[in-house]
Amino acid sequence: MARGDNRVAPISTGAGNILFVAPAMLLFGVFVLLPLATSLYYAFTKWSGYAEPEWVGFANFARAFQDPVHLASYLHVTLYIIGTLFLEVSFGLVMAVVLNSDRFGFSIMRGMFFSPMVLSMTAAGVLWAFVLDYRLGLLNSVLRSFGLDGWAQPWLSQSETALIAIMFVSGWRFAGFYMIIFFAALRRIPRNIYEAATLDGAGPVKQFFTITLPLLRHQMLTCILLAVTGGFAGFDLFFTMTNGGPFNATEVPATWIIRQGFDNNELGYATALTVILAVVVLIVSLVYLRVVERANVVRY
Amino acid sequence: MSFATERRTAGEWVQFALGGAIVAAMFYPTIWMVLSAFKTNREIFRHPFGLPEEWRWGNFAEAWDKGGMGGLYLNSVIVTVVAVSLTVVLATAAAFAFSRLEFPGRKWLYRLLLVGLLLPPPVVAIPLFAILRDLNMLNSLWALILPGAAWSLSLTIFIMHGYFTSVRPDMEEAAVLEGANVWQVFRDISVPMVWPSMLTLAIVNTINIWNELMFALLFIVDEDKRTLPVGLIRFFGRYSTDYAMVFAALTITTVPILLLYFLLQRHVIAGLSATSLD
Repeated sequence: MARGDNRVAPISTGAGNILFVAPAMLLFGVFVLLPLATSLYYAFTKWSGYAEPEWVGFANFARAFQDPVHLASYLHVTLYIIGTLFLEVSFGLVMAVVLNSDRFGFSIMRGMFFSPMVLSMTAAGVLWAFVLDYRLGLLNSVLRSFGLDGWAQPWLSQSETALIAIMFVSGWRFAGFYMIIFFAALRRIPRNIYEAATLDGAGPVKQFFTITLPLLRHQMLTCILLAVTGGFAGFDLFFTMTNGGPFNATEVPATWIIRQGFDNNELGYATALTVILAVVVLIVSLVYLRVVERANVVRY
Repeated sequence: MSFATERRTAGEWVQFALGGAIVAAMFYPTIWMVLSAFKTNREIFRHPFGLPEEWRWGNFAEAWDKGGMGGLYLNSVIVTVVAVSLTVVLATAAAFAFSRLEFPGRKWLYRLLLVGLLLPPPVVAIPLFAILRDLNMLNSLWALILPGAAWSLSLTIFIMHGYFTSVRPDMEEAAVLEGANVWQVFRDISVPMVWPSMLTLAIVNTINIWNELMFALLFIVDEDKRTLPVGLIRFFGRYSTDYAMVFAALTITTVPILLLYFLLQRHVIAGLSATSLD
């Protein structure tokens, strides 16, 4: 990530050079930093969006920590992130190894495996809502055609399966992305390392754990960070497929914030929830980066 | 590759079969979607797997009209083209300055950009709504273009900065010695040098902004200013029992993107693997 500042000498110095970053920083300031800053004010108000915000101190935060759906949304998003680590990152890694070949057909397979990434989450969500539909969904049709009628479930409309179903759809959509990152790194591992291991009698599974995995460590750590920060931001799939339901079983922070803010007009409370989300994401990523840094120091 | 002509070993056939089976299973829903778009509702229910009895191209015309797809496409194209151009141009200039120039506050401003990389857009949705309202931009395409571009800047600048630092500034230094000013160096030397990277980043940002849902859902009210993702959700809400219509609408919105992807596959993949910043 952001590397050390071992740069070569600048070709120009002087305050005027700031003009090159000014337009970007202006845009960034108005639409990223300013809303972050103002949310620190709105979070302490009662505000419907029409009348002026009214200062209420820490009331919104007190309420947030007693709001059972809000607390449950962090449980759901944590489970979702754990699920994505397996169904996106680990699955992507395995597929990068499986699809790593110069033989005819593999390039096409990589392209097809990656293709869900270019679909919008909305399209993916709507498509999978139909795949998982109880009456005529593809999944239940397949199960019924094998005579497993009892296994057919209303996947998205019962609490026990809805979150798991969304995890699988998320895996379907994102596994290709992680596959490509790992694949690019696999290509840089010299082939003779594997040839030497084969001569020493190591099979493919042993080679995976003793050569591939240690050499992909760096990519692994980056992908985990992307999956975790991306997971906390998860909104599109949840909104499209279940919108938090059934009975709030798939409510995640982002869907709950939008519901409070724009359906219930509780903008002050919703802003407090966004501040909590921002703090949680920042703490998790900074702790993670610190731990990774320390682990690297110990290792090398 | 020299290996490609040799006969495959048993292990390679296992690898091929395993990979093929998984990829086929994962690609099947996309094929199922396209085939179902040609069927009638009865047929989708009775014969979910087979080819349609009759290829009903009319389904697409009907879904196109009912969903107002022309308008949705146009809005999506406008938002994406303007926002992506803005991001890539501004990010290239900024990355050039951060890597090649010195100015007061350089390190500090660069670190500030990390905020946009670590925080997800939902954390600003509500205050951004108020800001856009005060700027009188709510319910206009600017409400999607400017925040969309702003939230793409961090990643684009970081990747671009990586490209700049991977190339020694010899050419730029030589130009300065010959008397070129910084703007001329940027325009005549640096931009042509990083041009391929700019295109790659344009593709990455196009995928993100084209698919953006949350801002589009919150900041646009009028039906005629909607973009494709929101239009698709509204369509799904209105015709959720008319399966053939929804599949036709899904096909209309996804197949052009898929075809474009298969055409530009190499660039898309190169761009997206660059986003891991390794």
